[in-house]
Amino acid sequence: MRFRQMPRLSGSAPLGLRTAGVDHRANQAKFRQDLLNGLYTGAGIALFFAFWWLTASQLPRSRLVTPLEAGQDLWANFVYSPRLGVFGLGSVGYGTLLLYTVSNVVTGMIAGGAVGILIGIASARLTLLRLVVNPIVLVLGTVPVLVAAPLFLLWFGVVPFTQVLLVAFYSAVMMVLFSQRAAENMNPIYERWALTFGAGLTDRVRHILIPGTVPEIIGGLRITLASAWGLEIFAEILGAPSGIGQAIKALTNISNVPGLLACVIIVAATAILTDILLVVLARRITGWV
Amino acid sequence: MDRDKPILAARDLGVSFLRADGSAVVALRDVCLEVFPGEFLCILGRSGHGKTTLLNIVAGLLRAQHGELRVMDRLVTGPGTDRGVIFQQDAVFPWMRVEENVAFGLRFRNITKRERLEIAREHLALVGLSSVARAWPRELSGGMRARVAIAAVFANDPPILLADEPFGALDYVTRRQLQAVLRDLWRRTGKTVLFVTHDVDEAMMLGTRVIVVKNGGIAEDRIIDLPMPRSDDDIATPEGLALKHLFLHHIGLE
Ligand SMILES: Nc1ncnc2c1ncn2[C@@H]1O[C@H](COP(=O)(O)OP(=O)(O)O)[C@@H](O)[C@H]1O
Ligand SMILES: [Mg+2]
Repeated sequence: MRFRQMPRLSGSAPLGLRTAGVDHRANQAKFRQDLLNGLYTGAGIALFFAFWWLTASQLPRSRLVTPLEAGQDLWANFVYSPRLGVFGLGSVGYGTLLLYTVSNVVTGMIAGGAVGILIGIASARLTLLRLVVNPIVLVLGTVPVLVAAPLFLLWFGVVPFTQVLLVAFYSAVMMVLFSQRAAENMNPIYERWALTFGAGLTDRVRHILIPGTVPEIIGGLRITLASAWGLEIFAEILGAPSGIGQAIKALTNISNVPGLLACVIIVAATAILTDILLVVLARRITGWV
Repeated sequence: MDRDKPILAARDLGVSFLRADGSAVVALRDVCLEVFPGEFLCILGRSGHGKTTLLNIVAGLLRAQHGELRVMDRLVTGPGTDRGVIFQQDAVFPWMRVEENVAFGLRFRNITKRERLEIAREHLALVGLSSVARAWPRELSGGMRARVAIAAVFANDPPILLADEPFGALDYVTRRQLQAVLRDLWRRTGKTVLFVTHDVDEAMMLGTRVIVVKNGGIAEDRIIDLPMPRSDDDIATPEGLALKHLFLHHIGLE
């Protein structure tokens, strides 16, 4: 015979029997991976604090204090800090001042980010707009926004608007760059398919370009947000009616190391927390990735 | 619709592209073609001979440099809902659930959301995907995504369907299954289909007519007058094999 059957190897069980319970194991594996990742993150943080502790123990208290002391200072001054009242900041603590900072950053990011994303996406598809926008954004992006901060203060005064505008301005520039690149990187096949269904320009922006670029845009938002904290605090130190930057300025004046470290901790924690929030939000709206 | 009057007529279509090094490639040279309502026209040819270019012109996604193209007596100037397209590449939107993908084209008509989803579910049932209506495309296999694309195009109900090697990237069995799905939908709806393929057997299994595109021109144009559905045996007759050899000869084998 030309098409003979080979004898079956003994001991090979039918596949179904061996794969029973695989679902359960997949879940277990995912849980174990999450746990492991959490452990690594924890280890990184622990390592950082250990290093801080070690350094603090070698340096005089006027230079660096231990994380514990910084934490105690943070706890004691969170709601109300008598030291800060002296500087005309009123009856405030680190927490209340931080609220001002957070609200400015969030407002600026939302306003500037929305404008930047729309311009960025539109300019990826409209050649004329891109030709006009790109040189402006590139110049504004290379001239550090920090240079504009004192000008903004002169123009608009010691009011929240000055810092919000600075953050908004910076976010817009960054998000034009990120979202323009995201739209350019998107596979053109999707827009072509939409075209054949009769989708117009606004339909394509709404149903294809925006949802299709969201994952990359969220990546850009995270980077922008991380640096927006520094920018806001810098602007507050220059001059602001409130904000954690004003606390930092005051504490520097009285050389209060534990207080400054407490501010660093609280700002870092806020930045990390808002980033996590952004990631969680991103996961919810980009379930398709 | 008058069966003897072409639904699509191309006259002297010509396209050339500029290569990066400055030289020109003639992708289509003076193509004349008439397609009649209800035909399943297979456009057969080797890779690089102008099949996609021809299909893109018919889709309105590419402009010919000379010649003219009429669809249902109207000059084609761009894409239109009278021509549905399935691309060579996977174009199913990853950010829409399966049923949203299928309902997408209906957004641009005066149809309520409820009706849209109803039509989408009907068409998902027709391609055997009812159980994954709420899934994300990434959760599907390549063959299932091809079914989604077919359902999406049929849900939009265009009189003409253009497909550019839609099953080229699929395994043999999946390809055969999807050929049957497309054939059955075509028979049910009576649409006119232009189906690009590089596979001689696929062309002979599906086409009521096969044209061979070679060096940007039409080298052969044959009616395949065999009943549908066809089996492998139906095209393995002496006459069928002779035609197969002719096609193979045109695309460079033998
Ligand atoms: N955008 C383009 N730029 C330059 N050359 C192209 C372009 N599109 C197609 N071509 C050339 O035109 C010819 C026909 O291409 P195409 O229609 O894609 O062939 P097929 O679909 O039959 O494989 C090929 O030689 C290809 O290299
Ligand atoms: Mg092709």
